[in-house]
Amino acid sequence: MKNPVMTSSGTFGYGEEYADYLDIGRLGAVVVKGLSLQPKEGNPPPRIMETAAGMLNAVGLQNVGVEAFIEEKLPYLRTIDPAVVVNIFGNSVEEYGRIAAILNDADGVDALEVNISCPNVKEGGVAFGSDPILAGEVTRAVKSVSRLPVIVKLTPNVTDITEIARSVETAGADALSLINTLTGMSIDIEKRIPHLKNITGGLSGPAIKPVALRMVWETVQAVSVPVIGVGGIMSASDALEFLIAGARAIQIGTAHFLDPSAAAHVIDGIEQYLSEHGIDDIRDLIGTLRT
Amino acid sequence: MKPDICATVFSQRETIKRHFLLTVTVPAYFGEALPGQFVMVRPQGCAAPFLSRPFSIYSVQPRGDDTCLEIFYQVVGEGTEKLSKLAAGDLLSIRGPLGRGFDVPSSCKTIVLIAGGIGAAPLSFLAQRCREEMDGVELMCYLGAGTAESLAGLKRLEEICTEVKISTDDGSRGYHGLVTGLFEKDMDRYTDDTVRIYSCGPRAMLKNLQALLTDNRASCQVSLEERMACGFGACLGCAVRIRSHGGGFVRVCTEGPVFDIRDVEFSE
Repeated sequence: MKNPVMTSSGTFGYGEEYADYLDIGRLGAVVVKGLSLQPKEGNPPPRIMETAAGMLNAVGLQNVGVEAFIEEKLPYLRTIDPAVVVNIFGNSVEEYGRIAAILNDADGVDALEVNISCPNVKEGGVAFGSDPILAGEVTRAVKSVSRLPVIVKLTPNVTDITEIARSVETAGADALSLINTLTGMSIDIEKRIPHLKNITGGLSGPAIKPVALRMVWETVQAVSVPVIGVGGIMSASDALEFLIAGARAIQIGTAHFLDPSAAAHVIDGIEQYLSEHGIDDIRDLIGTLRT
Repeated sequence: MKPDICATVFSQRETIKRHFLLTVTVPAYFGEALPGQFVMVRPQGCAAPFLSRPFSIYSVQPRGDDTCLEIFYQVVGEGTEKLSKLAAGDLLSIRGPLGRGFDVPSSCKTIVLIAGGIGAAPLSFLAQRCREEMDGVELMCYLGAGTAESLAGLKRLEEICTEVKISTDDGSRGYHGLVTGLFEKDMDRYTDDTVRIYSCGPRAMLKNLQALLTDNRASCQVSLEERMACGFGACLGCAVRIRSHGGGFVRVCTEGPVFDIRDVEFSE
């Protein structure tokens, strides 16, 4: 990647949605919406709700399915300069392996990002990512078939994210990205119903940054593989916090809804900081937190 | 669709209680906006509330060398409350024009507008354009509100339309009852294909209208509303179930906000 700025899955569609708003070529990488084996229609509305400094979403992993992605969305992505990372998820360990295998033959995909925050339908809905053994199994299933680098995206809805991180690293992950959304809720006090039809949803935006940052910092100390920081990054200054904490790259998500050109501002801001501080190589900044 | 711009407020005033008319100076390309399209708006440099808010475009017109965009809205929550405090000279971040506007075939002779509350806003823009571009078109407007004091956009509609019929839930003015009830009394007039019906308002109203039109041939389009984060199709937050899409979800901001009324699955 030419810079450490990536987009966060689920906020950037399949890339082309942003063509009018941002010079996509400037990004280090584009991470597309999570794909499943079959198309998924997503949850009934209301799917989103604003919160203080953020928002809840229960979109429900709506996506066109891996086959339609390859046919309809990948051609555009082949034309862009940034690395293309395809996020995948499944209902079972075996499904993860199958999607990864299909994407092996897809020309234009540079890496996979494995979403383990979704429920394991076979195990009664417990999220893969909340159990270190299951998380490891999913990682192994993908790594054993894929010819591509595999990033595993961790859920923060666990007691100890480093436990999951270590398990996934042992299972062969090439990198980790964290965090996914924090499970949250909001209530309409007049109607006395949840604001989201799904009742709960994932919290994203500035509200989660302190948690994301803390988890990135903890994980960087627990594993040797690169860690990608995600969660509430709105500005270059936010991104720099993650880099200083040890993240090798960062992802921007919700910020795009407030300003579709947010990533460009972050890239510019990081460059400006490096220049102002006389840092020639960003690697001289990464992980330089003093504690 | 263009990048977000920073626009200056030209003026803002409260018209009827809790309803505001906001006029903003915008780049000339907004002049190409179609009735039914909308904008995503946030006060510039404001961290809270977090998300921008979507508003139908009420009008766009040149003012000397500038272009002026009007938004007509009701204060219903934190976002609109914050917006209502802006005054001339304040800055706004605007994204748009967004979405698909109303279709009006040139062969149309009669246009029926059914407006519930602040739903009058996009229909008013539609009426204005039709009046400007379609010689001799009949513009019949049915405007409903809770009470006589909350008939939003009445004056402008009366200036543009051939006739405006009024309904109020409490009977304080015009027909006592729902605007769909008022429309139903005239419904037999509107059955052939030179008539087009357009509606915007509360979901319950649109659902009523859909049921009323079951045996009627006239084409009808509605403008829908749904909570939005991005407004340009990336976040998938504003889902609506559409029958012709295999009964699946499409985006109000991108495939809409205008839809054929018969296509919308209102019960969810």
